[in-house]
Amino acid sequence: MKKIKIASIWCEGCSGCHMSFLDMDERLVELINKGLEINATPITDLKIPDDDTDIGLIEGAVATDHHEEEVKMMREKCKFIVAIGDCAVFGGIVTMRNYIPTDELLKRGYIETESTVEGKIPTSPELGKHLPKVKAVNEIIKVDYYIPGCPPSADAIYYVLNEILEGRKPILTGDFLKYE
Amino acid sequence: MEKIKIKINGQEVEVEQGKTILQVAKELNLHIPTLCNFEPLLPQGSCRICLVEDRGKFVTSCTTQVAPNMDVKLDTPDVIASRNLILQLLFTERNHYCMYCEASGDCELQKLGYEFGLDHFEFETYERKFTVDNSHNYIVIDPNRCVLCRRCVRACSQLAGHNVLGEMNRGIDTTIIADMNVPLGESSCTSCGLCVQVCPTGAITDKRSYYFGKDIQTEEIYSNCDQCPVGCGVKIYKKKGSNFIVKIYGDFDKENEGILCKLGRYAALFEEKSRLTSAKIKDDFGFKKIDFDGIIKTINEKMEDSVVYVDGSLFNEELSLIKKVFKDRVFSLYENEPPIESNVSIDDIKSAKDYIVIGVDLNREYGVIGSFIKRKIFSKNGRLILFDSNYNSLKNVANYVFGIDELESGLEKLKDLDSPIIIYKNLSEKETEILSKNKNFRFFYLPFETNSIGLLKENIKHKIEKSKNIIFIGKNLQGLKDIAKESFTIVFTPYETDEINKFDLLIPINDGFEREGSFYNVDGKVINKAKVLDSKFETFDLKAILEELIKVKSL
Repeated sequence: MKKIKIASIWCEGCSGCHMSFLDMDERLVELINKGLEINATPITDLKIPDDDTDIGLIEGAVATDHHEEEVKMMREKCKFIVAIGDCAVFGGIVTMRNYIPTDELLKRGYIETESTVEGKIPTSPELGKHLPKVKAVNEIIKVDYYIPGCPPSADAIYYVLNEILEGRKPILTGDFLKYE
Repeated sequence: MEKIKIKINGQEVEVEQGKTILQVAKELNLHIPTLCNFEPLLPQGSCRICLVEDRGKFVTSCTTQVAPNMDVKLDTPDVIASRNLILQLLFTERNHYCMYCEASGDCELQKLGYEFGLDHFEFETYERKFTVDNSHNYIVIDPNRCVLCRRCVRACSQLAGHNVLGEMNRGIDTTIIADMNVPLGESSCTSCGLCVQVCPTGAITDKRSYYFGKDIQTEEIYSNCDQCPVGCGVKIYKKKGSNFIVKIYGDFDKENEGILCKLGRYAALFEEKSRLTSAKIKDDFGFKKIDFDGIIKTINEKMEDSVVYVDGSLFNEELSLIKKVFKDRVFSLYENEPPIESNVSIDDIKSAKDYIVIGVDLNREYGVIGSFIKRKIFSKNGRLILFDSNYNSLKNVANYVFGIDELESGLEKLKDLDSPIIIYKNLSEKETEILSKNKNFRFFYLPFETNSIGLLKENIKHKIEKSKNIIFIGKNLQGLKDIAKESFTIVFTPYETDEINKFDLLIPINDGFEREGSFYNVDGKVINKAKVLDSKFETFDLKAILEELIKVKSL
């Protein structure tokens, strides 16, 4: 049986979509029995997917230069890219910051928060630098399939993965297609 | 109507001339997606989502009337591709991220997205920040969520007749504004809230229902408003499984055509008066609590030597029970006979040409009647003559304004009136005399209490009589102060007010949405009000007390 390698990353997201992925429960075993092999994901804690990965799941919007690099890396390593969740698909809740200048936002978040005493905006060089605007994944790389939803249901994720495994093109309709 | 033949999706059909393609398609049960179109409003064709193909040309089906030889195709690949593109453009312009929008779940743009299977944005989203207008007491306008369908603008002028909302700038900069671009809270808005009801997205929302869930999480209850005797049809959204009304919308199928006023839509929910929370009786040491049996016993003892006063807030069922218990000792505390009887209905108001309003500010009270008149004035199909010496916001729209003392001379000057409708609340004897002289005048009386007409029908007249014991049932305690001084006074009322402690037995009754019953509206029609909420206090159902009194008496 040919193995289908799957990798996932999460950028500017809340991990809710990965929770939904795990929420597939025993169907995950079913998919593994069908040939799914879980490669580099936040769940396995491996950072770099293999070069011959078949499916790359991306959760979260692209908000920093690190995210930009990561999604580009995913595109290089994976045959199909699936954007999961509203953040990856549209930009999502993270785009709220697009309506506020970044300096003002960081000041509000790290210094002026009501519960903060002597706050400081993090400046470590290890941190990614904010892009001027939060973007959806398809504004950076080509995306093959989309699963919107906040988070998408486990059913929708299962449906899409199963369709890809069976060699069909997934088309979301009805309850699977939700923006919230 | 003349019939013509056109082709729809290749099939020849006979249709009525003058109808739009969209209307014809609807009659044939063919689906065309729409967004800016809203049935009672004139079509505008601003969203373009309803386009169809007619002999190789794209036309918007909501604005295009059927014409001979038309060959309409509703969903060719080209049409579908265009609609998809339009939807993409609608979504990418401004902030249409659903998950942090109040309207998500009830949004018509979102529904279109689901219908078209839109699963990503093809274009880079365009972020421009418009200021959210939070200045109004009840309404928030967020232009970032706006799709510029202009439903609100059309509803404000065509239906509600207020002409407050308009638009400013062009293209992507277009924004919906109030008056000459002032914050809505400072504008001439009368808080009728129709714009909230027609808005397809989360651009105009009301503050109370903000983030209180979707419509499917509510129970929709059709009822009538009892804030004034116009008795508009309302649709009440009650949160499922809780004792809470999320919002009140107007009922488009009733006489009020979906329009409500501030009183019906907002005041009924927002202005919570402090309530009388339990029954209490005064003795030498002050007030002490009293139970149902105690109430019945006390009333039964005092009944012999008592008069009963009521006001117009009571429903027909309650009034007839009161009559049954207290017979001819029931009086209205307030004057309720019309100075001149009404002889026209609400429908006549909608179709009349000339209106004479005497001493009523129809923007503040009886707002829906005001809407019917104002929309005729703005569309230049009617004239408004106002007689009022006090401040009256109708002055800005009236064609002629006179002081109330100029009634005779004013009417003298206006000889060309086309059987005008006189709209009034109180008239002095002199005014009544002047008006009754004119043979071609039609009269529309606005009673100041909800069920004034019900009082008249039950033959309960205004009269003040002295008695050892006084029983008052109603909301308006104003007139009770002077007559209740030396008597034992029993008061059935929902509210706790300053003067209430002067009385002897206080019985809290259900109020507003806690009671059900019927009343007569201005047209003399019986109108029902449904029970929606349960009382949060130890209040009594007036009808239960009255029925118990009947039982006790018959023993």
